[in-house]
Amino acid sequence: MNRIENALSTLQDKKEKAFITYITAGLPDYGKTKEIIKAQEKAGTDIIELGIPFSDPVADGPVIQAASYEAIQGGANLEKTFALMKEMRDEGVEIPIVFMMYYNTVLHYGLEKFVKECGSCGVDGLIIPDLPLEEQEEIKEFLDREDKTILIELVSPVSKDRIPKILENARGFVYCVSSMGVTGQEASFHREVMNYLADVKKQSKIPVMMGFGIRTAEDVRPMKDIIDGAIVGSHFITLMREHNFDPQTAADYCSTFKKELNVL
Amino acid sequence: MNKKAYYGQFGGQYVSESLMNTLEELDKAFEEAIHDPEFMEQYHYYLRQYVGRETPLYYAERLSEKYGTRIYLKREDLNHTGAHKINNVIGQILLAKRMGKTKVIAETGAGQHGVATATGAALFNMECTVYMGKEDMERQKLNVMRMEMLGAKVVSVESGSNTLKDATNEAIRTWAKTAEDTFYIIGSAVGPYPYPKMVKEFQSVISREAKRQHMEAEGKNPDVVMACVGGGSNSIGMFADFIDEKDVELIGVEAAGLGIETGKHASAMALGEPGVLHGMKSYLLQDTDGNIQLAHSISAGLDYPGVGPEHAYLRDTGRAKYVAITDQEAMEALLELCRLEGIIPAIESAHAVAYAFKKAKEMTMDQSMIICLSGRGDKDVNTIADYLDGKGYLN
Repeated sequence: MNRIENALSTLQDKKEKAFITYITAGLPDYGKTKEIIKAQEKAGTDIIELGIPFSDPVADGPVIQAASYEAIQGGANLEKTFALMKEMRDEGVEIPIVFMMYYNTVLHYGLEKFVKECGSCGVDGLIIPDLPLEEQEEIKEFLDREDKTILIELVSPVSKDRIPKILENARGFVYCVSSMGVTGQEASFHREVMNYLADVKKQSKIPVMMGFGIRTAEDVRPMKDIIDGAIVGSHFITLMREHNFDPQTAADYCSTFKKELNVL
Repeated sequence: MNKKAYYGQFGGQYVSESLMNTLEELDKAFEEAIHDPEFMEQYHYYLRQYVGRETPLYYAERLSEKYGTRIYLKREDLNHTGAHKINNVIGQILLAKRMGKTKVIAETGAGQHGVATATGAALFNMECTVYMGKEDMERQKLNVMRMEMLGAKVVSVESGSNTLKDATNEAIRTWAKTAEDTFYIIGSAVGPYPYPKMVKEFQSVISREAKRQHMEAEGKNPDVVMACVGGGSNSIGMFADFIDEKDVELIGVEAAGLGIETGKHASAMALGEPGVLHGMKSYLLQDTDGNIQLAHSISAGLDYPGVGPEHAYLRDTGRAKYVAITDQEAMEALLELCRLEGIIPAIESAHAVAYAFKKAKEMTMDQSMIICLSGRGDKDVNTIADYLDGKGYLN
């Protein structure tokens, strides 16, 4: 069974909500990335989104844009991130990891080679924000054949009649974007966010996570009875920067969030 | 896969889920509009009365004599605002109004599309915001001033390389946030479907006129049609009505900058690696990690790392040929056109002129070619002066 699906089904049995974070690979360097991931695994983070930096991150706000830019300047790339994954899996890191990346990085690497490499390095899922349902056929053919890595589907507040189509073959979890636009717009959720989340939840057979603009567990209190988990990206990166990428700070933030999330 | 969004393997809709319904709504509105005689009549009314169409197909006597073939210039430089960009802006802004949008946004590199959009927004009383790279704002101060005079807000984009591709990223981000009341006017034949089709539709007036004008003058189709290619809007408009005329040779001229071999160029098709950027799959300049590489050209309008998907398709099917001209060749052609014909072309258009001189060598006085003179060179006077002084250019 896929690590993501495994972890989420365990959480469901325990009636717990999932806590997911995002960090950019290679920021400030791969050594730190590894330490932060390991610290988070110990602290109880359920899934990690690992960002593969790209030169033109159109779905990201200023924080992740800057993170990508700096990571690239520091030499981060897909090849090195695969190497990091392999290393971590060899060292016993078992937390589910999802690559968040742009489609050009995949195409440039080569679809078939990319999917194989994901399988052999223990990449459990992919989030590709510039690959909407209509364009997924090409990569899904390889993902299905290899059957190790799953493509996470995104839903937005304006998806409306597209929701059933998107959910039809979705696996792992559904990523509900809390607002229109880009990552990291501080807790200014879309005005229809409650109705929209409820709508997705009603139709979804798999857990529903919310991301974009979340900083603390308190931010998701209004939707605590709907969603199955929360995703923190930009805020987590800002926090890491402010604390010089200190793994202990990451661990403290994650264990607090996770604890609070489950007693809301 | 949405098959109609593709030109062979190129095109598509590589955008975030938030924009998919917007694109569908746009596609529907666009198809309805272009099949509505009233809409098209309105579009042509403004092209005639406001833009100043039709533009002449000028027989360049002295160039023809010197180069030994019959050379015609399609004078898009004579349009209001000084380039072909306004053709497309009028079409898209009328569509925006029809869809009930109150705001428009646009990206701009050299500022020509920004100026055209600001102009259209003033004419149709829309709120206008133009995204422009910080670097480009410094290089093109005059156009920034023009946009502001026309009532547009110019936003300085400070991310990535601070140029056109980053301005486009920022426009896409803003659009994803505000699509409910905002229309994104893309200036080039790029972006997610239906943009490449829309830009072609509204620029095809260039070839529709030119084909008829050439027929009137010569009693036949031209042997060769050529235009410069950045994202590819004037060229797709210049090719449009000739694509089905198999005897007409189509040539797109990209910018070779300092030379393809130096790596400092803007020729997305020279090395030909397909990829995905700005919502489309097409040929792109990329580095070894698949990051988008900066384009280099003395011409800000050709300084784009990608190319419209239909051009990628025309290249692969062999229907059109794509070549590249260096900064130096373009500047020499520009000066020659000034001196022989009394026309100061945009540096972009001078790339097509430069290749025409090469192509003319294999042609005779019984043959003819049309060059799309996409814009005038007033905006480039400072760049030209610096170049002549040997100062090079900011890039």
